[in-house]
Amino acid sequence: MFKIITNEEVGPDIFKLALKYDQLPQKPEPGQFFNIKVSQELSDDPLLRRPFSIFDFKSEEKRVEFIYKVVGKGTKILSKLKNGTELDVLGPLGSPFSLNNMNKEINLIGGGMGIAPLFYLAKKLEKQNADLKVYLGAADKSELNFFENKFSQLKADIYLASMSEELTIKGTALDLWLKKLKNKPDFIYSCGPEKMLAAVEKEALKNNIIGEISIEKRMGCGIGVCLSCSCETKTEDKKNKRACVEGPVFELGEVVLDG
Amino acid sequence: MVNLERRDLDLKVSMKSKNNKSLKLKNPLVTASGTCGNGKELAEFFDINQLGAFTTKGITVKSQSGNKTPRIAETSAGILNSIGLENPGVDSFITDILPETKDYTLPILANISGYSKQDFITLAEKLEGKEELAGIEVNLSCPNIKGGGMVFGTDSEKVFEITKKVREIYSGYIIVKLTPNITNITETALAAEEAGADAAAMINTLSAMKIDIDRQKPLLANTFGGLSGPAVKPVAVKMVYDCYKKLNIPILGLGGVRSGADVIEFMLAGATSVGIGTINMIEPAAGLRIIKEIENYMLKHQIQKLSSIIGAAH
Repeated sequence: MFKIITNEEVGPDIFKLALKYDQLPQKPEPGQFFNIKVSQELSDDPLLRRPFSIFDFKSEEKRVEFIYKVVGKGTKILSKLKNGTELDVLGPLGSPFSLNNMNKEINLIGGGMGIAPLFYLAKKLEKQNADLKVYLGAADKSELNFFENKFSQLKADIYLASMSEELTIKGTALDLWLKKLKNKPDFIYSCGPEKMLAAVEKEALKNNIIGEISIEKRMGCGIGVCLSCSCETKTEDKKNKRACVEGPVFELGEVVLDG
Repeated sequence: MVNLERRDLDLKVSMKSKNNKSLKLKNPLVTASGTCGNGKELAEFFDINQLGAFTTKGITVKSQSGNKTPRIAETSAGILNSIGLENPGVDSFITDILPETKDYTLPILANISGYSKQDFITLAEKLEGKEELAGIEVNLSCPNIKGGGMVFGTDSEKVFEITKKVREIYSGYIIVKLTPNITNITETALAAEEAGADAAAMINTLSAMKIDIDRQKPLLANTFGGLSGPAVKPVAVKMVYDCYKKLNIPILGLGGVRSGADVIEFMLAGATSVGIGTINMIEPAAGLRIIKEIENYMLKHQIQKLSSIIGAAH
């Protein structure tokens, strides 16, 4: 059972949802997601669950947190749910980011709501003593304030970009990363709009940088049965991979991105 | 009168055909093709052997990667899908997927799709004699592939021809899955029966579309898709009701089932077994809950044998 303990606005139409759980089938890892039924019992609308990647996880408090933006019917319903509401939640689901980057130089590049899954990842990397550089971008500074505050609690260098005003720079997370990229990092992680990921991937591969991305794809079931979220791959056998099972985290260059 | 208790209830159904073939199920629930993978994904959530039967994801002669994404969209009380039969092809199905089903104790049905009569012949030949299978479901109704599937399913003569060919080759149990995208489904259902089908499954999804009003373009990459979920249930119940009066073979009824009450409704209309599809995508262990709900209905109405209600609404 999952119960809402926080569901509050932390930016323009951006909400933080914290759930308390009784038990989980396994410990959630960064990059994984939970599939939440936002319609309440006996309601058919919306029918499908909504996948949300993990923003933060605190096992000692039995607490898992998500950041979401109200963009459609499902997230609108979710945003109106009160503390104490019980939710039907499946998870953790999907394949996580790999974490074998002890003492290395790591770049995190996040755009918009794609920043959310990078925070729990950054916390884990910090524990591994990684040399963390975080590049965050959004359309407007107001969408970055919450994330800036959270990331600044970690041992990391933070750089910000927005389209509306000059922060570290004025522009996208990609522009920001390219501008600051001097030493080749050992590994990068990125999450954001697919076009941004395609551009990050292109630059990274050009510079022989390895890393992982987390993609967003319209999902049906979230458990691998319906094949709605199939991704074309660039691997030799061209075999499709499911964003919900083999993903949402993929290696740079693994799946075909819509640039 | 002695009050029935849960342990007294008999949920078994037997899909006995005119050809003296029979598919015996411990309860009427059959997973709908394409909503349950090939079993192992759902098996992580519950013991699928507790269901009546399992239908595999649709297979074609050659492997295919499916349609472009987005392949799924939501509508009121329903979903649109245009997966496009992504599957590894029948040879890989036989070598890789069939052996994985060996541990299951419930009947397994292989769903087959084709682009030509020859495709169905090839598929029937390759699956003939496969001991892991209790039967095949001939999909003459997929709305998401061009030049096949539904094109056959809307033409009674084609339904007859393909079913007859498959019947000549395949000696196991044959279910023909029919499309609702037709004026009178009893005609295609009768054609399947006359050609030797052991049972008719209805309905596949309804041809439908959704337009993204911001992009001002169809939301699905494939433009059109198939509508499923609670929204289609009343259409499916009526088609089962219509066919029950005319057919002499059992009906596998499906479309938008998500509760025990829905299963009962399909059976009252005339279905011997009932498919569960879209609900599995939302609630992986829905089948278990639905069986409980069927039992509760039987207790409430003091029905000992579930099969006694088949067609009772007529």
